[in-house]
Amino acid sequence: MHALHKILARCARPQRDRVEPGEFLEVEPDAFGVIVAINAVEAKRLVADLDELGVKELPLRDRIYAVADHASPAPTVAIAGAQKLWRDFFRSHGIREFDGGAGVSHLVLPEHGVVRPGMLGIAIDSHAATMGAIGMYATSLGGGRLTLYAIGRYVIQVPKVTLVRVSGKLGPGLFGRDASLYVNGRLGQRGAYGNAVEFAGSFIDTLGMDMRFTFANMGTEMGSVTSYIQPDRTTLDWVNAHGSAPYTVYETDPDFQYDSVHDVDVSRIEPQVAVPHAPDDVHGVSAVAGRRVDQAYIGSCASGRLEDIAAAARVLKGRKVHPDVRLVVTPGSREVLIAATKAGYIETLHEANAIVTSANCGACPGLHGGLLAPGDVAITSITRNFEGRMGPGGQIYLASPATVAASALKGAIADPREYLS
Amino acid sequence: MKLTGKVWKFPQSDINTGLIRKQMYNHLPPDEQGRHCLESLDPTFASKVRRGDFIVAGTNFGCGSSTPAHYSILALGIPAVIAESFGPLFFSNCVGGGLWPIVCPGILDLIETGDTLEIDTDTVELRNVTRGRSLTGKPLPDIYRAMIEAGGEKPYLKERLARSRSAA
Repeated sequence: MHALHKILARCARPQRDRVEPGEFLEVEPDAFGVIVAINAVEAKRLVADLDELGVKELPLRDRIYAVADHASPAPTVAIAGAQKLWRDFFRSHGIREFDGGAGVSHLVLPEHGVVRPGMLGIAIDSHAATMGAIGMYATSLGGGRLTLYAIGRYVIQVPKVTLVRVSGKLGPGLFGRDASLYVNGRLGQRGAYGNAVEFAGSFIDTLGMDMRFTFANMGTEMGSVTSYIQPDRTTLDWVNAHGSAPYTVYETDPDFQYDSVHDVDVSRIEPQVAVPHAPDDVHGVSAVAGRRVDQAYIGSCASGRLEDIAAAARVLKGRKVHPDVRLVVTPGSREVLIAATKAGYIETLHEANAIVTSANCGACPGLHGGLLAPGDVAITSITRNFEGRMGPGGQIYLASPATVAASALKGAIADPREYLS
Repeated sequence: MKLTGKVWKFPQSDINTGLIRKQMYNHLPPDEQGRHCLESLDPTFASKVRRGDFIVAGTNFGCGSSTPAHYSILALGIPAVIAESFGPLFFSNCVGGGLWPIVCPGILDLIETGDTLEIDTDTVELRNVTRGRSLTGKPLPDIYRAMIEAGGEKPYLKERLARSRSAA
């Protein structure tokens, strides 16, 4: 069995010794992540539904974590009203909240040590798989929210596993997100369709946790249901520094048969850019350099880590953002924001005339914090560049934070190596 | 259960949840999201479609976000979406909402916009009434079928909780 399958077998009800890809299991998750959400009717409906079902105590109460990350702090009165209803609901059940600029849920939960290696975490967010970077089974909820609240169970189909082995060494001026974009381009939007995706190989081994989160995050854009990176010393050092709860590292059996195996060498790539409107329409920066940009955006759960902000600060140090461009920087979590402040990166960003926001999902899901007008062109480090994501009629390019920063300086898509000699 | 309705076909691959219903409308009451359904692909869709009609789609329909984009489809009274394949999150969102997501490889060749389709949800036989052709889709797993047949998550849970309470 794969390590992921061992986690599912443990969480299956009744518990199982073995699970097979394709079968449907009822599972009880170790953690359930929810959003301090923006739809008032949904909050009222949930309260009424639980009442109608006669559910007074939520079975998962102590394992539910509510994070205010989307549209937070509230950008409109209507959204403030909806979030209030959700907070009232969470508080009435004693659910732990991460609010007030804590950051994006799937970065906050591992940082606070509430999710650990070997856990099954289900969260209402398609990029929940980001947490798989610590060696857990992390997946997004589709339907099934009421079931999780009411009876603490979820139905999951045991996935096959796609293995992506990444090798090689990046050239100077290239970053983890370039490698990640390249892999997405190579595999495509359905490269791991319906499967789990495991990232491994000599290149992944050299990455710190920040870029491992990036890879796990972007597994979602291959159509996968979860991402996984086998814990090693790097993982465990990070996990041990982020919480004290015990954990289990599961190992994949040596005879496990992967559904498919992809080998990707990132040695010779140039900085990568995904063009509108698909995260797998990826090209070398030279193919698109010079295209005008109106906005540059660094952040999101894909690329809102300290390494990302450090890379942007290196490019921006001692320079000014082009007067026709707005550069918005949204750190992924408060931990990142504090560390970036201590390291002097935030001061560098301010001096370059960047707009630095509090930690949250920001403009990535198109709810606040730097939306686009029709016709605006943005280069960003967000998760996906679907049509209209940051505003109808806007054009979204995806790139590494260094490429975004370089483009913000030039007013057009630019190769960061020009600024990193 | 048999369902019959007129078909609206969106044959493109990888129609993501943002194209089904933009995230910027996520805060609207679910029943009001219908007018934004698929507006990026066909701005007149919501005004043309009638209750009981079906959406027929291509590969990986509803890929992307976990956002409940299916609300916009339900709000228009559409009881089923038939696609070559679905994005996994959208698929389970449909089940929870009581909207039939029917996987049917070959559906794009079976039917055109305006044709009448008859669906037998028990046998997953799909019949193009207009042209007299049929195809069989993939059966839903039992747990999902039970949930949609009960009318979605809440009625399903009601039955289940009643059973476990009477057993206790």
